[in-house]
Amino acid sequence: MTAIVATGLGMRYGKRVALRDCSMEIPSGSVTALVGPNGAGKTTLLLLAAGLLAPTAGTITVLDRTPDRDVELISRIGFVAQDVPLYGSFTVAEMLRFGQKMNHHWDQQLAQQRMEKLQIPLNQQVHELSGGQRAQVSLALALGKKPDILLLDEPLASLDPLARREFMRVVMETAADSKITIVLSSHLVADLERVCDHLVVLSSSRTQVVGEIGTLLDGHCVLVGPHCDSREPDIAGVASIVERTDSERQTSLLVRTNGPILDPKWISEPVTLEDLVLAYLARPGATALPAPRAMSQASAS
Amino acid sequence: MWLTWRQHRAQFIAGVVLCGVLVAFLVVTGLGMRSTYDSLGVATCLAATPARDCTMLFSQFQNQYSSLQFLVPLFLLLPVLLGVFWGAPLIAREVEQGTYRLAWTQSVTRRRWTVTKLFMVGSVAVILSAAFSAVLWWWADPLVGGPSVQRFKYGIFDLLGVVPVAYTLFAVALGVAAGVVLRRTTVAMVATLCGFAVARLAVELVLRPNYQHAVTAAYPLSFSSKTGPPDGAWVLAENTVTASGFAVSGDSNGISLSYVPMQHICPYLTPDSAPGSAAMQQCLTQNGIHVVATFQPYDRYWLFQGIESALFIVLAIALALFSVWWVRRRVR
Repeated sequence: MTAIVATGLGMRYGKRVALRDCSMEIPSGSVTALVGPNGAGKTTLLLLAAGLLAPTAGTITVLDRTPDRDVELISRIGFVAQDVPLYGSFTVAEMLRFGQKMNHHWDQQLAQQRMEKLQIPLNQQVHELSGGQRAQVSLALALGKKPDILLLDEPLASLDPLARREFMRVVMETAADSKITIVLSSHLVADLERVCDHLVVLSSSRTQVVGEIGTLLDGHCVLVGPHCDSREPDIAGVASIVERTDSERQTSLLVRTNGPILDPKWISEPVTLEDLVLAYLARPGATALPAPRAMSQASAS
Repeated sequence: MWLTWRQHRAQFIAGVVLCGVLVAFLVVTGLGMRSTYDSLGVATCLAATPARDCTMLFSQFQNQYSSLQFLVPLFLLLPVLLGVFWGAPLIAREVEQGTYRLAWTQSVTRRRWTVTKLFMVGSVAVILSAAFSAVLWWWADPLVGGPSVQRFKYGIFDLLGVVPVAYTLFAVALGVAAGVVLRRTTVAMVATLCGFAVARLAVELVLRPNYQHAVTAAYPLSFSSKTGPPDGAWVLAENTVTASGFAVSGDSNGISLSYVPMQHICPYLTPDSAPGSAAMQQCLTQNGIHVVATFQPYDRYWLFQGIESALFIVLAIALALFSVWWVRRRVR
């Protein structure tokens, strides 16, 4: 079962292209990290998924429906927009009342309990809250809808490390005790590494890497060997070289593999997720996308 | 409903307080005006039979309150103030502050969200402006009533009756539409101000005189009293002409007839020929000089109020529908 399917998705604002030919599947119940540099199209992708934008090319479906202005679907999506927009003059209690008035399935008790647990006073005005508290109120508003999908756009961007940890703790608790699908975007991988099980890397409006984090890590490794002059060393088991670092004595390669590396010249080391993502971002031409056949099989099942 | 009220209550309250202050001021000065009106005896003079000329008495009364004229521009601006401060920020501010992304990702359709906002702000604006207009009617009654009713005149027609309510509704709808399209509160405010001024002037100067065919009538020229259209009529043009149609004065008052244009017709006139002199009189009769006036009679006052109000209300509804459509259609 897939929660979000994008096929050839494209979005342009006037002449500016924000997304082009973007295809991916995000499985139900997964926690997906949407990573990419600023301006790569992460926000656009999430706005498209939240039904705030209509794509200019291709299609996106969320829970097998087209989200564009589909209120019935949108009521099942919890969305926390970038910079956590809230009504500054409202109190926290009024913000929760907003959620209650604007949604059919609203869990007021849950939302209130959340605020209590985080020691956010209900009679406080929103503009007096700290960044972390605002983010928590936004998250509580999104979760109060009891959504099937939670979309978080750069939720950690403006938070201090303690607030980040608090925020991620709530997200992880949510992921643990419901079948919710979560997509978080960030320009930092480190933030999301411990929480997420799927990864989408966007760079310059395109998808660059899509896949399960475990599989991606298994399918890549760092090879260290003696300095090598050939530009494209032919090593059995290597599908493509993502990144290459040369020093006088040795050459280090970050590679995507398609089999075991048995060449004794090279020592294979596991790669960290952060290195993997950075290597891909540094080489916008390199991609690690599921084969088209695998994608169509997945959507058929 | 609750949401709209909660979001805009500060603006609503500010608007109501401003109107409240103005109403209080109007009530105080209005009562004062009435007591002067009675003590000067304007009312008894007007009611007297046989009819007396109360012009002098009335202008004495008017002079005493001419200082209140400074209020007139304020009253003219009230509708557009609501448009600028209630209408323009209504949706533009949500877009500017990004809160539309919060509002539009709840389980309420954008159409309903927009309609609710428009309905709330529209009905508050109508109630407020209707109440204010009623007080203003009462307040201005002694000033514009009197020996000759002046309600139909430019600048006064726009302040009284039902048209201010229609203007207010139009201004608010214009503000919302400008905010929705321009997406910047300050820009939308300026656009509202300009758009409102243009629409009002166009209607007032181009359309209003033509709601009905104006009446054209001829009157004898008199030196003693002003002759012309009936009391309260909205005079569009008045000329003193010869029988063949040559205009000798852009006025209907014989006293202001000057010697220069008359000399073309009657060469025997000398610069000493006073307006009432025999030579002048002879010239008038010889050439059949009379007054021609084009005007809208006062009994069309409410018809004109109705037509103008309907026009602005239709515009307001069109703008409101446009805003709803735009918000629903708009991507990003």
